Amino acid sequence: MKNTTDIAVESIGLSKNYGTVTALKSVDLKIASGQYYVLLGPSGGGKTTLLRLIGGFLRPTNGQIYLHGHDVSNVPPNLRPTSMVFQSYALFPHMTVAGNVGYGLKLKKLPSAEIAEKVVAMLSLVGLSGFEDRLPHELSGGQQQRVQLARALVLESDVILLDEPLAALDAKLRKDMCFELKQIQEQVGITFVHVTHNQEEAMTIADRIAIIADGELIEEGTPQDIYREPVKRFTAGFIGENNIVDGKVTAVKGTQAKVDVGSTTIAANSRSKNLSVGDQVAVSIRSELCRILGENEKNVRNVQKIPATYVEEFFLGLTVSHLVRLKTGADMIVRESSDRAGTSEFSEGDDIYLAWELGDARLHTS
Amino acid sequence: MTDEFSSVWSYRLKWLYLLLLVATLMVPVFYNLYISFNKFGFGAYNYEFTLQWYSVVFQDQLLLSAFGWTMLLALCTVMTAVPLGLVAAKFFKTTRFKVWFVALLLLPLFVPADIVAASLLVFFKNLSFSLSWLADMTGLSWLGGWFDLGFMTALIGLIIYTIPYIFIVILITMGRYHPQQTEAARSCGATAWQAFRDVEFPQIRAGIFSAAAFTIILTFNEYTRTSMLKGGFDTFTSVLISQMLNTGMSEQSYAMGGIVSLVAILTIGGIIAFTMLRVQSLERTQRLKVNADMSG
Repeated sequence: MKNTTDIAVESIGLSKNYGTVTALKSVDLKIASGQYYVLLGPSGGGKTTLLRLIGGFLRPTNGQIYLHGHDVSNVPPNLRPTSMVFQSYALFPHMTVAGNVGYGLKLKKLPSAEIAEKVVAMLSLVGLSGFEDRLPHELSGGQQQRVQLARALVLESDVILLDEPLAALDAKLRKDMCFELKQIQEQVGITFVHVTHNQEEAMTIADRIAIIADGELIEEGTPQDIYREPVKRFTAGFIGENNIVDGKVTAVKGTQAKVDVGSTTIAANSRSKNLSVGDQVAVSIRSELCRILGENEKNVRNVQKIPATYVEEFFLGLTVSHLVRLKTGADMIVRESSDRAGTSEFSEGDDIYLAWELGDARLHTS
Repeated sequence: MTDEFSSVWSYRLKWLYLLLLVATLMVPVFYNLYISFNKFGFGAYNYEFTLQWYSVVFQDQLLLSAFGWTMLLALCTVMTAVPLGLVAAKFFKTTRFKVWFVALLLLPLFVPADIVAASLLVFFKNLSFSLSWLADMTGLSWLGGWFDLGFMTALIGLIIYTIPYIFIVILITMGRYHPQQTEAARSCGATAWQAFRDVEFPQIRAGIFSAAAFTIILTFNEYTRTSMLKGGFDTFTSVLISQMLNTGMSEQSYAMGGIVSLVAILTIGGIIAFTMLRVQSLERTQRLKVNADMSG
């Protein structure tokens, strides 16, 4: 037993192979008690495998899982202090809402009156009072997910695992449910581990986010850190809308590095990284921090800029995106609020500059 | 799929075809029943309804004994083969080698009944001989006699025969079951057995009961394997067929055929009626709740 009681979930060197396919490669992860923790990543990246390993639905190939300091690596799901909310189809269709929510309590052999009391309280918490006698097929998708949540919460487990719980809902309902999930989690104070591939969902609810891709834990941090200061190139490419240019370090001076990106050389803060001349790096800039300079503005100082060609403009409702093409052929996006955007002063084929402030660029060595 | 632009006559012709097909399949059965209720028997010019041939059947001690043995065989086959078929279907849902699994499990269906029966007969004879020899050599008398032709060997033959059918029937019902529900039950604290009992079984119950009913019908109808492996006792079908072969069809034979047909039709009809009534009842409940919501 490990003496780390404020850590709700810990994995050490956790890996899972399916025959010759490696779904998860030696993941080390710590989730503090009471956090809303999101495992975010592209489909097939290994995040659901990690969640299922935590829940006991898979046996690890290597490594250990600790729940509140107890090694549960070989403990079956019914004996773990976890409850799971599934993407869909997981309500018992032959049981009423009350039957579903009270099922775990019945297995614990609680008195019927106590079960009924807890079920009513939990349905009230998830906003489904009066739905006790409904059958699952009589509920909407959002209501079904609330019942699943109530069924998990009523057991008062240490950790609630949520496997893409909002994926089957429409965009509006998903957004509303995000806020509700966060509020409920704050109210009950239980550790939530939530898997999603939707970054907006992750940003809305997470206290911390772990980026999982190709079976690896790429990066972990608060939503703000992950969005504003991604360490890895993959994170910059996955989170938000970033323009990424690859290049080679040509000079390092203090905290600043010069990077040859093909058509020009740009400067970027080295972010305390030990850089050497010749290192292959990437520089990322959020699209909303970029702007377009015309030929007549090419002498503007104190900005970083790359020569490019204007391609076209896309109206996206809240924002307007401008597509520009670098001399290397790479496409970049410049995004601005649609309220501020007038008719673009540029036309297709115009020579322009893609520009940004020095401090807005992030340099990635991996 | 309905083609809304097709002619109404095309639709009617399809129904006509279906009814003719069913009629063709069922006419011999109903004709047998018709004769079995005629006082004057097969080929008579006159027709007078009677139950006397059925009465004769139920007064015949040989037939009653055969009926008892058949029921016992059917029950033992159900008790053994249905759980085995269920386990096979559950394993099929989780295995990665589905094609091989199905091919191997359904293979016995493609071997002619008399070949399977003859093979089992030779196998049991040799096994029985070997075990008797071993019993003599070791003095362990309980070893002998297990596979002498009789109830046990007939039962094994029927289990081998019915498992592929049971597997298919249960698997069809299982197709609608989502395994996440088992995981959800485990996550609520259920053991694997509790998850099956409380969550999966109620949803595949119809398939299991249908498989059991189908097994009873198969056992009643089966002749080749049972006749070769049964040893000294008689089953309903073996009596019926031996009567037909030895003395030709009597009025009593038609009544026996009628009994077998009625057992099959009533069992399957009962299952269909129960399923349809259950679906209607669920739909009615759902409509009532939706109406209550809309008015409230």
